[in-house]
Amino acid sequence: MLNEIAMTDKNAFAVAAAIYGGAFAFGLVALLMRRVYPRAVMFALLVGGFLIQTLGLNLRGAEIKACPLGNIFEVAQFIAWSLVLLFFIIGPAFRLRLLGFFTAGLAALLAAGVFAVPAWDRAYPPGIFGGNPWIELHAALAIFSYGVFAILSLVSIMFLIQQHGLKKKQFKGLYQYLPSVQQLDLMAKRLLITGVIVLSASLIFGSIFWVNNHELVPVFKLTATCLIWLGYLTVFVLRIQKKLVTRRHAIATIILFVLAIASLWPVQSARDSEPQTTGAPLRVER
Amino acid sequence: MSDVLQSLFVLGTSHHATPLDVRERFALTQPQALELQQRLHAHEGIRECLVLNTCNRLEIYGLADRIERVDEIRELFCEKQNVPIELFQQYAYSHNNLEALQHVLEVSTGLDSQMVGETEILGQLKQAYTKARDAKCTGNVLNRLFEKSFQAAKAARSQTGITRGQISIGNVAVDLASRIFGQLSKSRVLLLGSGEVGEKTAQALKSRGADDIAVSSRTFENAHKLAHELGGSAIDFEDFKAQLEHFDIVICSTAAPGTILDRSIIAQSMKRRPERPCFLIDLALPRDIDPAVEDIENVYLYNLDDLSTIANENLTARKAEIDNAREILKKHAWNLWLQLRRRELMRRS
Repeated sequence: MLNEIAMTDKNAFAVAAAIYGGAFAFGLVALLMRRVYPRAVMFALLVGGFLIQTLGLNLRGAEIKACPLGNIFEVAQFIAWSLVLLFFIIGPAFRLRLLGFFTAGLAALLAAGVFAVPAWDRAYPPGIFGGNPWIELHAALAIFSYGVFAILSLVSIMFLIQQHGLKKKQFKGLYQYLPSVQQLDLMAKRLLITGVIVLSASLIFGSIFWVNNHELVPVFKLTATCLIWLGYLTVFVLRIQKKLVTRRHAIATIILFVLAIASLWPVQSARDSEPQTTGAPLRVER
Repeated sequence: MSDVLQSLFVLGTSHHATPLDVRERFALTQPQALELQQRLHAHEGIRECLVLNTCNRLEIYGLADRIERVDEIRELFCEKQNVPIELFQQYAYSHNNLEALQHVLEVSTGLDSQMVGETEILGQLKQAYTKARDAKCTGNVLNRLFEKSFQAAKAARSQTGITRGQISIGNVAVDLASRIFGQLSKSRVLLLGSGEVGEKTAQALKSRGADDIAVSSRTFENAHKLAHELGGSAIDFEDFKAQLEHFDIVICSTAAPGTILDRSIIAQSMKRRPERPCFLIDLALPRDIDPAVEDIENVYLYNLDDLSTIANENLTARKAEIDNAREILKKHAWNLWLQLRRRELMRRS
């Protein structure tokens, strides 16, 4: 059925990125006009972008016959998709003002930004996960946890902006529309716990594969992933012990997310430099 | 037959031109205002009337058979209040027809209020209208006029920034507390001292959901009395520092000659509650809280000057919206005037 859709996966990703960008621009214009944007419109735009991005991921997945997480382009699309999905869960439940606006901005940045470097959508052999469901689950969970950390970093940015406004006695513009610092801090704590649990689960599933396939997992990838996990685990422990709270906690989670995203490129490069493990033909370059 | 719309009027005095001591001489109690309304309605030639009586304004809205009736009303009021007519004429204003329509629309929107954009006047106007309508003092014209004025006020408020931002110290503090805590229902408030501004701020917080309020003052009786009024508890002044960590919002308005909360006390308290923010409101002069506490993580300190600056900037922003709101009201006033004229023509035919 997916084959009958007259749209390529790349077009779907581009349209989704444009919709996310449009949603961000819509929110920005409203804020510049000192008005609160209608939540329903923002929500509808994000739903539109999400559905089209889901279509793109499905088309790509159908082509490679696996979860599309084989290169930086696909990983970034999947993180953006997870981020928006999490917004749909958190947004209506906790009614955090402006979260939709920030989500649209980061989703647009991730989804559109990867179009800038065509090499990031490098072709790779089909069945990259070797048909092993554990490794596929590991990859999906790991990238989903990055989605959680993405929304955590957004909440942390919102916290820092609101706190800066309160400390510097600013009350106009963006500050008046942001949620309270206590709400944001509490949400950041919940997201950190969720992200660490999901990432830990992902590593547990990944380790099942790794125990029997040492040679298939690049050392650099393993090290980078474990370091990111250790970083988040350290922040999590310090947070539970109330030793890393509020502002410092927010800064730590933003830095860790930047590092996590930055590590994707060398991880991918390391994997690309590894010898191909299957004799399957490469996926056609887009 | 005379044209009833040629004699729609408003006669009154307000804070704009009338000093407080003169307003006191014109002031009516609510029963007196209702009695005046009945007397005017019973007066020959007055078809409809409404008396609006607030602390800042006394206004008589009416529909008469001819405009000269306004002079009779003026005399009647001065005789009833036992004030010289010259004094009333010196400060009173009157508007007729379209101008009267525009005036009532501006009053209901809060454009004519001392605190521009305040919403209390709309409630007072609605109350006065309900009483006048129930007493059958208003008829087709004033009913339509007031009902339309409430709609116009709503439109002007939503389409302009006339009500944006808080303009009283108490409400500014509540807004800031909401930016720190969100819902205030779980926030614990400590009021130090029994100063009036502090009490009003505590009341503003209470009105927005902060139920758990404790009061501490050097005179325990004062603290106890105020705590009773606020529905809270009293704390011995010697003990409040030991209990500081349990409070999210601390309002200081004591008459102490120096600071009563220094950096070390607040830092110690915050160590025991690192995750929970603390909002300190210093309304005292001289200040009760050492400004150095501002540097402590998760502590938000605002003094009287900070709150006044925010209130004044909000007021300035509201004033900048007056012209926009007035333009919207002009359109509503004109449409209403045409509707009333059309009705009058239809009634005649």
